[in-house]
Formats: sequence, structure tokens, C-alpha cells
Amino acid sequence: MTSPMRSEAPVAAEDAALRVVEVSKRYRLAGHAPQELKTVLLHPRASWRAWRQARSSFWAVRNVSFEVARGEFFSIIGANGSGKSTLLRLLAGLSRPTSGRIERYGRISTLLELGSGFHPQATGRENVIINGLLWGMTRREIEARLPDIVAFAGLQEFIDQPMRTYSSGMYVRLGFAIAAFLDPEILLVDEVLAVGDAKFQEKCYDHIESLRRRGVTIVMVSHDLAAVERFSTRVALMERGQFVAVGQPHDIVGLHLERLAATSPEIRRALEEGIVKRIRESPEALREFEQKLAEKRAAEAEARKE
Amino acid sequence: MAILAAAQPAHRRSLRNASELLVALTLRDLRLRYQGSLFGWGWTLVRPLALGVVLYFALGKVLGAGIESYPAFLLTGLFPWFWFQGSVQAAAGSFVGNGGLLKKVRFPRAVLPLSAVLGNTLQFVLALPVLVVFLAVAGHPPALLWVFAPVIFLVQFLLTAGIALFVASVTVFFRDLEHIVEVLLTFVFYGTPILYSASLIPPRFDWLVWVNPLAPIMESWRDVLLYGRWPEPGLGVAAVAALVAIALGWVTFRKLEDDFADAV
Repeated sequence: MTSPMRSEAPVAAEDAALRVVEVSKRYRLAGHAPQELKTVLLHPRASWRAWRQARSSFWAVRNVSFEVARGEFFSIIGANGSGKSTLLRLLAGLSRPTSGRIERYGRISTLLELGSGFHPQATGRENVIINGLLWGMTRREIEARLPDIVAFAGLQEFIDQPMRTYSSGMYVRLGFAIAAFLDPEILLVDEVLAVGDAKFQEKCYDHIESLRRRGVTIVMVSHDLAAVERFSTRVALMERGQFVAVGQPHDIVGLHLERLAATSPEIRRALEEGIVKRIRESPEALREFEQKLAEKRAAEAEARKE
Repeated sequence: MAILAAAQPAHRRSLRNASELLVALTLRDLRLRYQGSLFGWGWTLVRPLALGVVLYFALGKVLGAGIESYPAFLLTGLFPWFWFQGSVQAAAGSFVGNGGLLKKVRFPRAVLPLSAVLGNTLQFVLALPVLVVFLAVAGHPPALLWVFAPVIFLVQFLLTAGIALFVASVTVFFRDLEHIVEVLLTFVFYGTPILYSASLIPPRFDWLVWVNPLAPIMESWRDVLLYGRWPEPGLGVAAVAALVAIALGWVTFRKLEDDFADAV
């Protein structure tokens, strides 16, 4: 089930888990938020200008097409703001593409955030049940897994306490434990695994790896290039809403770093100094570079304006 | 967007999941609302009873509403009114107030406003025994025609749920609606025969009763519970309005829900 894919090979219809066809997503820029009636009535001219401005829009995802085969571990990498997370939300059906279509073959679970919908006043047990229902499980399924979930999170003594008494670590552990017992066919994961300490992250990756061995299809968005290289069967690089390249993890991660280097002398120097290894291993180092890159771009844009 | 999901996630399963989620959310919110307060759900009764006392003195004693057994009359209208008002008010902000959840998790979103309605419905049902006792003491013991109460209940429930779905959905894109609704509810309260009976309305304001499906519902509650007679024929009109409301609310919700996550 887990055959690594060549980049352009079309997926046979019966083996496809996800098929994305020419999907685009446009967001309105400033003024996207609905205006108050008060503003419209008291400041008609300003509000008209804001509305006009709101008409200007940008494409967060532009004409992206790809297929993910059953059992694949497909990762999407790219700089901040390249549209990765938007794409994942489109895949999850949380947001609607402006054009194009997405076909899904199988039960989807989406891990965009751990512990969404936890209520601090309610007990851990009650939150597990409601969270499981939110993720689409039936009550019977959750109750059957409840002991395992509690044990996995290591919260046996605390499960009947209100969650406001939990530490943030306990919060995240319970959130992940529920997600771990979801039993999806297709799992969409955002940066969620970047939370918690190294030991907890390792536990998360172990679990995801075991899901993959069971034949679960996984699509992950991540800055953690080391993890991407380690687990993925295929990687896509996104820039400004478009797929730049799709292929083997090692090649695409390398391409990403090279392209980052081409845009910034700092990263170029870093690469030459052999820090590429460090970047590959540490998401923090990469974020630093991206931060610098963004600052530099902003400064350039400012200079051009003047 | 074509969702050609395989036939596996059976509709029955997702319907079951949605109803279980609805019930779980409703019970959690009810429990949390009264948790730690000594008087518990007794507070649910306090609001209509307190307003009843005030109005009884202001309208019954001071102004003289000219209605027999006015306290019973008032309460028969106030209890259903608080059910309606509480539902619509709680539902209005239910999508906007759960923006984080809408952005992160794919779940049957209609459960948010509907659980607001269901919670208020439960409170109404739990308060009913108090109303029944009060009516009995005031000389209106249970009568045969009380069998119509479930019909009136159903009509009001559908009407409320439809309005709640509509208001909650539109509020995501037009935030002022939540406040407009709040003001409108005040108008509706005084424009509906709750404090007075429809027969007291001057003929030139008759249209007020005709455009307001709550009017025949309130009249019917009193027809049945207070006077032990058949509900007025206007209840049929209200039933049609309730069906239109639930259809309109559902269609509006379905049309808008795909853009909730981008707008909240």
C-alpha cells in the first residue's frame, strides 16, 4: 500500500485518496471583515473607499492540481504565507475553493489544532466525549475508547476534574490522545505536532508512523524539514500559492533550501557555511531565516514605494 | 465543489453523530450554566416569575388590564415567550462566538444554533410543571383539550428553530443583525398578545396579529391551558409559517455555511 510515487505518475482511480483539480482560493484583502452599519452611515466616503479596496484580492492558492494515492505520506512545505495551510483547509472542506474541485475518497480527519472545542469548565471526560463527537465519532465508539484515550494521555487521576485545573501540557496530551484514536482513512495534519516538548513530539511522530503502516493516507503541512524528510513518501514545495515542484523528499527539501538561498544573501552564506544541515534538522533555524527573508522583502517593497 | 466521498460514511452514522453532538453540547451548556449556583435551574423560573409579578402589579392592579385571573393569563404567555426569546438570542451569536471551532474542525455546524434552541426548550419543559401547578391553584386545572399542547409546542419549536438558524447564519456576514434582533425582540414582545389578549387590540392594528405568527401561538397556549378550549384557527396559519421558517432557515444556513470559516 505504501509504494513511493514518482512525481508525475497519475494515480489509478481506485487507488486515489485525494484528487485536487485546478484548485484556487482567492481572499479579499483589507476590509475583508464586514463593515458596521454605523461606519457605512456615518462615513460613507471612507466606507466606499474601504469597499473598493476590499475588491482588490489575492490568490492564496492558485491553480493547484495533484493526487494523493492511498497509503501515501504527502507533505507540503514552503515559506510562511505560501498558501500551505489554506490548501490544507480546502482539503479538509473547512473552506471552499474559489474555483476547481477536490475529490475525497475516504473518511477524513483533520488535525489543525489539538483540543479545539475543549471547554475549561467541563471535566476531561466530558470534553473527550464532546471532542470525539466533534471529530465525527459516535458516542458508543468514544466510550469504548475512553479508557485507552485516558491511559494514552496519562491522565487517569485527573479525568473527572474540570479542565481549567489542567496544565497546558495535560491539555495538549489529552487533545492528541483523542486524535490518536480517531481511526481515519485520510489524515490531514497542520503544524500541530510542533507543540509540546521533544519527547511528546517523538510520541506524536511514532503514532503517525504507525497510522501510515496501517495504510492511512496522510497529508502534512510542516516547517519541520527533518521530519518531512524522515516520514514522507512525496513532498510538494509551495511558493506564492502554487506548487513549484513535487517529488522525492530529499530532492524537494534541498530545492526549497536552494531557492531560499537564491533570494537572500544571508541564507546563501549560511548554506555555504554548512548551516544547511542545521536548517534541515531544526525548524527554529529555518524560521529565523524566513523571518529575516520576510523583513528584507518588506524593506525592499518599502524602498520601491519611496 | 464536488465531494465525491465514497459511500462509506453512511448517512445514518453521521445523522447519529450529529444528534449525539447536539444533545451533548446542550446538556453540557445547561449543566455549566447552573453549576456552582445554589439555586440551580430555579433561576430559569425566576425571570418569567419576576416579570410576571411586576406586570401583574403594573398592568393588573395599577392600569387595570381588565382580564380575569390576570396572573395566570400573564404566566401562560410569559413562559412560552421566554422560551422563544432566549432561544433566538442565544442562537444569534452561536456561530460568531465559536469562530475558532468553525475554522479548525469539520462538524455538522447546525448543531450550534440548534443546541441553543434545544437548551432553552429543555428549560421551558422543566418549567412547565410549575406553570401547571400555578394554573391549578389559580382555578385552571388540567383539562381534556390540553392534548393540543404538544401541537402548539411543535409549531413554536419549528418556528423558533427556523428563525434561530436564519439569524445565526446571517449574523456571520452581517454582525449588526445580532443587535437588530435584540431590539426587534422588544418590539415583538409588546406587539404580541402576551400581556393582553388579541381581542383587546383596536381594529386598525389588526394587521399586527396577522403578520406575526407568534400571536396565534400565544393565543392558542391560553385557549388550551387557560380556557380548556380548542386552539384558535390561526394556529394553522402559524404552523404554515413555522414550516416556511424552518425551510428558509435551513436553506439559508446551507447556502452560507461553506463560507463561515472564511468570514468568522
